[in-house]
Amino acid sequence: MGFRRKKVVLVRIETSPEDLKGMNSAEGILTARGGMTSHAAVVARGMGKCCVSGAGSIKISYKAKTLEMSGNKYKEGDFISLNGSTGEVYDGMIKTVDPEMSGYFGKLMKLSDKKARLAVRTNADTPLDARVAREFGAKGIGLCRTEHMFFGGDKIIAMREMILAEDEEGRRKALAGLLPIQRKDFEGIFEAMHGLPVTVRLLDPPLHEFVPHDEKGQKEMAKVMVVSLETIKAQVEALSEVNPMLGHRGCRLGNTYPEITEMQSRAIIEAALNLKARKIDARPEIMIPLTGTLAEMKMQEQIVRTTIEKVFEERGQKIDFMVGTMIEVPRAALTADKIAQSAEFFSFGTNDLTQMTFGYSRDDAGKFLPIYIEKGILKNDPFQVLDQEGVGQLVEMAVKKGRKTRKKIKLGICGEHGGEPSSIEFCHRVGLHYVSCSPYRVPIARLATAQANIMNKRSWKKMNK
Amino acid sequence: MSKAKYVYLFGDRKAEGNAKMKNLLGGKGANLAEMNLIGVPVPPGFTITTEICTIYNEKGRDNAISLIKEDVTNAIAHVENIMGMKFGDQKNPLLVSVRSGARASMPGMMDTVLNLGMNDNAVEGIAAKSGNPRFAWDSYRRFVQMYGDVVLGMKPESREAEDPFEIIIDKMKKKRGVTLDTELPAEDLKEMVLQFKAAVKKQTGHDFPDDPWEQLWGAIMAVFDSWMNERAILYRKLNKIPDEWGTAVSVQAMVFGNMGETSATGVAFTRDAATGENMFIGEYLINAQGEDVVAGIRTPQQITIEGSKRWAKLANVSEKERAEKYPSLEESMPEVYKDLFQTQENLEKHYRDMQDMEFTIQDGKLWLLQTRNGKRTGAAMVKIAMDMLKEKLITKEEAIMRVEPDKLDELLHPVFDKEAVTRAKVVAKGLPASPGAATGQVVFHADDAEKWASEGKK
Repeated sequence: MGFRRKKVVLVRIETSPEDLKGMNSAEGILTARGGMTSHAAVVARGMGKCCVSGAGSIKISYKAKTLEMSGNKYKEGDFISLNGSTGEVYDGMIKTVDPEMSGYFGKLMKLSDKKARLAVRTNADTPLDARVAREFGAKGIGLCRTEHMFFGGDKIIAMREMILAEDEEGRRKALAGLLPIQRKDFEGIFEAMHGLPVTVRLLDPPLHEFVPHDEKGQKEMAKVMVVSLETIKAQVEALSEVNPMLGHRGCRLGNTYPEITEMQSRAIIEAALNLKARKIDARPEIMIPLTGTLAEMKMQEQIVRTTIEKVFEERGQKIDFMVGTMIEVPRAALTADKIAQSAEFFSFGTNDLTQMTFGYSRDDAGKFLPIYIEKGILKNDPFQVLDQEGVGQLVEMAVKKGRKTRKKIKLGICGEHGGEPSSIEFCHRVGLHYVSCSPYRVPIARLATAQANIMNKRSWKKMNK
Repeated sequence: MSKAKYVYLFGDRKAEGNAKMKNLLGGKGANLAEMNLIGVPVPPGFTITTEICTIYNEKGRDNAISLIKEDVTNAIAHVENIMGMKFGDQKNPLLVSVRSGARASMPGMMDTVLNLGMNDNAVEGIAAKSGNPRFAWDSYRRFVQMYGDVVLGMKPESREAEDPFEIIIDKMKKKRGVTLDTELPAEDLKEMVLQFKAAVKKQTGHDFPDDPWEQLWGAIMAVFDSWMNERAILYRKLNKIPDEWGTAVSVQAMVFGNMGETSATGVAFTRDAATGENMFIGEYLINAQGEDVVAGIRTPQQITIEGSKRWAKLANVSEKERAEKYPSLEESMPEVYKDLFQTQENLEKHYRDMQDMEFTIQDGKLWLLQTRNGKRTGAAMVKIAMDMLKEKLITKEEAIMRVEPDKLDELLHPVFDKEAVTRAKVVAKGLPASPGAATGQVVFHADDAEKWASEGKK
């Protein structure tokens, strides 16, 4: 592989979204708490990073910066080793061997690409992820989550300023500060994916996820924004929601605060134009999250297009782009014919679609899903293996309705299911154009797309007649 | 309506079943039949179908037996004919193995009885015929122990409880002042058979069955019972195998790898299951039974010269010592090796996949006891598929379908150097949350991780 690996192991009692960049910099992650679906585990798998979670016997002191295992005390800087396939933690350094991407593996991948109909894209939020996925053979980015770009260092401060602003004017001021940061991030990603499509999803998560909940962070923000700590506290309080996953998020943010959508659209297109000047071919596809109605989609589309026209005028230059939507709310699937009037592409966000179709909160499902599977109520975890009978019906319906309105509508999937073989086979059968999965699942998906085609050769021919 | 067929014969290069009949005959039974059809030497026998297992579980023992009694009687006669032996005979007794075999492989989950047909008459016949009384009495001793455990319920219920047979063995070894049971002479083994039987009588209130037919029915039903034992049920649950499938039972003439220096037993693969290298590979032990290879008391020897030399290099054994103490089968029994080599080639060509085989050599004659598509690592899976495509053994589509997508995961992450990890010390254990191997310096905060990594601290 082309990039250089540096050697630290991040040891935490548990991890949170703020640790993302540090996790990405580490060779591996060891946590004392949390199961197979803990934050650390899910994120590490997405990154293809080794992780041992829930090692209950270890003692961590953040204050003293020490770790105790089997009676040995380890200080910051001491060497340990992890085996994420067995859960074992070792004393000291152990030589590792890098995976072999060429030879037989390369031949198998080439052969698979020849036999596959579905293209494989990747979910990537950083240029590094994009490059890894490209080396693994990804044919573009199917999901670039812009919110992940806001964590770490000064970026989060600028983001918090925007969120904690008391009015539109304050927000616009903060957004103006965010614009160059976002533009730079997009340039990095587009460059890594030059010549290939990149689907950028506009801001999706509830805003309270970004704000500081500890007093230290709140004091810092008060200082930066020159307001009282009480003002910050009140703002944070106001942002809290009873059910944030169904709350003020997705396109609801962009429709209530259009200036966010404006800033992001501008950053995307300016980045693409900057690259064009350097003869780098950027192909942005702007994706509206959590659409449920045509009106929601139309309003976002209009903001996006108006902003982009303005940028084109300013620059005296144009570039091809697309505007489409995630299909992740059941209502969007049910009214896909209408939504397709405004959306040039659909990307099935099957994580949320599963969550809302079953009515299972993904964050709370760990309490009952294992029991449901053990008792045979469910055959599989529907967040891992797409529920073809129920959720799949919505996907199939949306595909048909979308095509009826817009014959050439581009169709893909970007949920976790995009890297799971049986779900990929389903995507093949219903006639999607691509699947998108985390970088380290790309080779698995490439093989699975070929297998799907071999298993369904006849049905595919029929569908395309 | 013609009578349903529940018992399928095989032997002497003929068989009533074939490899496609896994649902009825189980994986093992179907492959035993198939091997006969393609001319591989397999001890003769018969397979009772999975349907009888279902009937046994639904309608009970008597019902099941009545459906197959006549067929099983005829099937034993078929085996007797081919082998020129007789069940329960004093001069030339036929011994059989009784094994389970489900549609999907369930290794070690169900029960097996070996050396069935053994009694006070038969043991004399085997001692005389083999010229090896110790071997005969050891086989008898093993049979009483295995039958006692599997069929008569002598296996202790809890792990803490002592095994009555093991107590007797330990006492006998103490008396002799030896540590291995292989060091006990024939007369001790004879004494042990008596004591084992007495222990059975004491615990169950019944005499140990001497009648081979009674032994056979007991063993067949015990294998059916083992379909519903706790560990088999758990295994099926974990591997999503339906309870309704049931197991077949294969009864087969015994062949012995422990009849002396011209006998042996072993396991072989048509290609290396770890790396996928296209090289015939395997291990064998002279004068041993299958379980001895697995038990690891003796060091198994390599089958091919090439494999033997590679092994010696890793084990730091000189060429002289290797050739003297651990010769390959290719060197120690060149004729049998030639047969085995030809057989493995035929099997791989026929099944068009890497085979995992068990064989026994009895008195210089090769017998195959089992063949199946071999389990393999992710790397071997990819290499074997691509090699077989190149060799035109399989098509492009087949090559693609041969690789399990999830197994590729093994190839995509760094792994520990095999040798280095054997010297490492495990200091804690957690959940295997995300695969791969990592080694590095401990940091406790995400921003430190970022900082250290960007500085390239080593």
